[in-house]
Amino acid sequence: MSGCQMNDTVTLVGLDFGTTTSSAAIASAKLACNSVTRRMELRNVEPRYQSEQVFTPFRGDLLDEARLAGYLDQWLKDIRPDEVFGGGAMITGLAAQAPNAADFASHVRRHLKDGVIASAADPCMESWLAFMGNCWELSRANPDRAFVNFDIGGGTTNVALGCNGEVLRTGCYFVGARHVQFESGSYRITGLSSYARPLLDHLGIHKSIDDYLTEYEVHAIIDWYLALLESLVTGSGAAEVDSVTALHRQVPFDGGPGFVDIAVTLSGGVGQLAYRGLQSDTWPGITAYGDLGIDMARRLVQRPFWREHLIQWVPTGLGRATLFGLLRHNTQVSGSTLHLSDTRRLPLSDLVILGSVSPATPPAEVERLVALAGRTAQGACLRIDLAQCDRASIRGLAEQLRQSIAKQTAIEHIPLVLLVGENLGKVLGQWVTEWGRSPAKIVVIDEIDARDAQFACVGRLHQGVLPVSFYGMNVSGASS
Amino acid sequence: VTELLALGDIKVPDPKPDRVYSGDFFGEAVSFHSLKRLLGAADFSKAGDRNAGLAAPSEKLREAARTLLSSLTLRHIYDNPLTDDAGKVDSVMRVNYAIDLARFETIADSTLGEFKDWLLICRPDEAQQVAKALTGVMAAAVAKLCDVHELILIAKKIKRTTQARTTLGLPGTLSSRLQPNHPTDDPRGIALLVYWGLSLGTGDALIGLNPAIDTVDNVSALLAHLDQIRGQTGAPTQICVLSHIKTQLACLERGAPVEVMFQSLAGTESTLTSEFDVSVDLLDRAYRTMAAQGPLKDVARQFMYFETGQGSEFTYGKHNGIDMTTAEALCYGLARRYDPYMVNNVTGFIGPETHADNFEMIVANLQDHFMGKLLGLPMGMAPCYTLHSGITLDGQQIATQLLTAAGANYYMDVCLNTDRMLAYFDTSGHDDQTLREVHGLRPAPEFLKWAVERGIFRQDDDASMRRGPYWGNVRQFCNSDLELELLLKATPAAYGFDTAGPRPANAVSRQTRLHQAIGREAIESELDLALCETVAKFRMIQTEASDKQSHLNSPSAGARVARECAEQLEKENTQVQVLVSDGLSAAAIHHNLPDVLPTLLDGLGSHGISVGQPLLARYGRVKLAEHVAELLGTDLVIHLIGERPGGDAFASQSMSAYLVYRLSDPATQKAAAQFSGNAEIRFEYTVISNIYSRGLPPLEAGAVIVEKAVEIIAVKAAGNRLTMLQSSQRSH
Repeated sequence: MSGCQMNDTVTLVGLDFGTTTSSAAIASAKLACNSVTRRMELRNVEPRYQSEQVFTPFRGDLLDEARLAGYLDQWLKDIRPDEVFGGGAMITGLAAQAPNAADFASHVRRHLKDGVIASAADPCMESWLAFMGNCWELSRANPDRAFVNFDIGGGTTNVALGCNGEVLRTGCYFVGARHVQFESGSYRITGLSSYARPLLDHLGIHKSIDDYLTEYEVHAIIDWYLALLESLVTGSGAAEVDSVTALHRQVPFDGGPGFVDIAVTLSGGVGQLAYRGLQSDTWPGITAYGDLGIDMARRLVQRPFWREHLIQWVPTGLGRATLFGLLRHNTQVSGSTLHLSDTRRLPLSDLVILGSVSPATPPAEVERLVALAGRTAQGACLRIDLAQCDRASIRGLAEQLRQSIAKQTAIEHIPLVLLVGENLGKVLGQWVTEWGRSPAKIVVIDEIDARDAQFACVGRLHQGVLPVSFYGMNVSGASS
Repeated sequence: VTELLALGDIKVPDPKPDRVYSGDFFGEAVSFHSLKRLLGAADFSKAGDRNAGLAAPSEKLREAARTLLSSLTLRHIYDNPLTDDAGKVDSVMRVNYAIDLARFETIADSTLGEFKDWLLICRPDEAQQVAKALTGVMAAAVAKLCDVHELILIAKKIKRTTQARTTLGLPGTLSSRLQPNHPTDDPRGIALLVYWGLSLGTGDALIGLNPAIDTVDNVSALLAHLDQIRGQTGAPTQICVLSHIKTQLACLERGAPVEVMFQSLAGTESTLTSEFDVSVDLLDRAYRTMAAQGPLKDVARQFMYFETGQGSEFTYGKHNGIDMTTAEALCYGLARRYDPYMVNNVTGFIGPETHADNFEMIVANLQDHFMGKLLGLPMGMAPCYTLHSGITLDGQQIATQLLTAAGANYYMDVCLNTDRMLAYFDTSGHDDQTLREVHGLRPAPEFLKWAVERGIFRQDDDASMRRGPYWGNVRQFCNSDLELELLLKATPAAYGFDTAGPRPANAVSRQTRLHQAIGREAIESELDLALCETVAKFRMIQTEASDKQSHLNSPSAGARVARECAEQLEKENTQVQVLVSDGLSAAAIHHNLPDVLPTLLDGLGSHGISVGQPLLARYGRVKLAEHVAELLGTDLVIHLIGERPGGDAFASQSMSAYLVYRLSDPATQKAAAQFSGNAEIRFEYTVISNIYSRGLPPLEAGAVIVEKAVEIIAVKAAGNRLTMLQSSQRSH
């Protein structure tokens, strides 16, 4: 009855639209209860489909939505949207900077019938996912060591520092292979991003479209990139940040003090090339992909700082991170005794997380947050902290919530989702709704770790449990 | 492959009217009014036989019975088959008569006393050959005449060797069945327990898992999982998932690796068919199917595995007046028909109603081992206990030392003695290795070779076997420290890998024993009425169990309201009645009631459900709810009751809520009867278990129980029928 006998198979989808390439993966996972923690969890995530990587299609600065939609149809043709239990879609790097990235994210969400998150321009989330997808296992296996994962893609490098499988700090830089684009097989410039042009000026390289870069100039660009990334780990960066460096900083990363014993891993397209090259000692021809990727990867392997780490710390997936992260780590599973006023409203997407309340929260603050929820368009979440609380205090908070909700007529029509870490969803929901007599449409999801995120997506009910994903991560350490 | 004799072709003498066996013993005339009575009185006194009224009330009467029994010939036993309650020879008894009649004739006129003496002086090969000349009742009768030394001495003469991938029962060997049971069949936990056992050098007889969920899908998946582990480790052994024989046959049909076919047996047909859902015909079919289609048919000489244990016939009230030892011997007579690869005896598993203390458990195990060997079976032993009996780990260890002296083929390896799924205690891999070292024994030769190659054991120049450098090293089977950590996180009651010699390190043993001690304390704890009164205003009721001991020793007493108390209860006809009783852990009630009950009463009241004043009962069992429901005329009794503690101290605080729905109106009863196939069904059950702080928290449980109660009342169904009706409603 506590749900611990459940052992059902669910479908997960991961979609990654990056600066250079896009791809998809579909996996099966078992929904089961951990007999020690008694929590529901997804286990045995087994990929059952992995698409070819395709170049992310652009029309000028815009994502080519029609072609992307075609890819989506092709990748997902063998599954029904309503069978998707979890996973997610990420639009990353320069693709996320496209003016229509948010529109395309909405398209993906609609395609999957709001079952999973689809997020664009969420750099801390990307960093978190890359860390979890690439080096979670290494980090857990070496719990006393801090790991820094650099997810080097076409447009951005997402940085995350974590210990024992937990991400502690994140950052994001406009460092990537595709800021300078070439004619394949040569260094003839075919494109420069808005970040590359000032960098070339800064380096005294006065070249433009159709000009040829020398090998020396290519190395100068790459070395500048890599020195910037190295400084994030070594702390050797100048105290005063120059304007070009500042321009490349989307979310500053602060490695901070206290982590002497640091291991570095790579992921993303450039990271994968580096691991592959290191293992096989064979490389594609220069600019074979029309960008700096191959040269960056070769340079990474040559520079002693990176080489030492790349040899010593090899992630299982050899740098394939975002899809792994989306499939394996992005979806949490609720407990099996949650409270649902109305299952017909599921799934719920883009729920803003307004804040946290506990029995110690002043009634006026509870009321303010509930009122705020009543003014949202799609619904909202509140984190509920009930750790170490006794019956009377939980009852008191439930009553406070009930009264606050009763004052908000709008909330009858707007879903209010209460996210609870403890296994107390059913009782809290019953108390808040006076055992179902209140018309308020609340959902109480328990046994969920409500990460430091800004938004949540609640999926479809499956065998009494709900998948929950978060995005808009605030995990950026000093800069959050 | 053994040719199975058709039941109708087995010659059995016609049953005869009961006769009186009497004699004069130092001036006192003593009579026993049937062979069953004589056999019962001749045995050591054990709780099950006492509760059945079969045990001799005094040592003098027991010895009188033994003296009379000694004077009966084997032919007399043969000529007087024991019958069922209808006076018929049942199919189990009939199978027992499939003996070598020519050989029987050579011993038939010996008295049982003379036969016992002959067994003590005969050569081992002669003792071995007599197996096919004996019925189960004959073996039981001799066992009752033997003292402890004789039970050991005679059994030690007889070795029974069987062979699948490994060879069991060779002289100088002691094997083990690795039992990696997990409460939720979590593959990670199962893998860890298998790795742990293999690292201790156990599992050469079998890796055999009792599944938490007995479905074809789940059992097939578990078989595939075990098969994969076996292949990956290279351990030369065989695998089995101990589900019902019908499930295993279905799995085999699907192509699952059912390498060894398992079934529990009983010594009376009524127990076998109505409780275990097995018949001789079905067993025959399973045997023939395995012979024709089993994955080891070209490798193994034997492929059947049976489990038995004294007392199941008594517990189910289907013993036909036959004592526990004799019924057990009849199981062996049935098992013998299928030339099994292994037979496992689990006497002690049931509880104090059959075996109250260490002595009863130890002597019963020695008897069982003796009888099995005498009947030619490859006997493995699992002297075991539950915490609500008086049997202890030390008693279990004494039993294993004696049984090893008697030449048992194998023991179980239940990690750290604690079965995580069945909440009982059995021998461990550490125990198995300890016994090997004390008695100079080694595993099966095929397995030993593998274990030496892996460094689990090492063989010295003098061919003696010792623990090797990798003995007890679980990590050797994992790809990484992280993998081991993740497996460990899915495994309850894993208190540490450290060892001291063949034993768990002291710190590990202390943890194991402390957890057991706390569980036992919870069973012995008395319900704190004052504490309960602070939670709600209760009405007290008495059960027919007058004290703790009668409660533990007689499950039926706790299932009835005492007569004088019942007379005071009148029909109230409420929709719900809440009943609270200690069950097997008053501590569970103390721990959970303050949070569960107020929430429960609040929720029921809020739904407008009529609820009677809560009842509180000391010494209650689950079925007390049925009697209460009938007395009060209540539709639904919500029975909050303490669960039987296992090996986890925290779980001794675990409570269950039994929602017992009375099928009072004829239409509902008819629907329930149709659904269940039981025309007499009167109640349906929904159970919400594992209520405690580390399981389903009591506050949350209160709300869950309310929700379920509302559903039961609305749908007029509970249990599987409720689930089915709700599912059908949803699909419409």
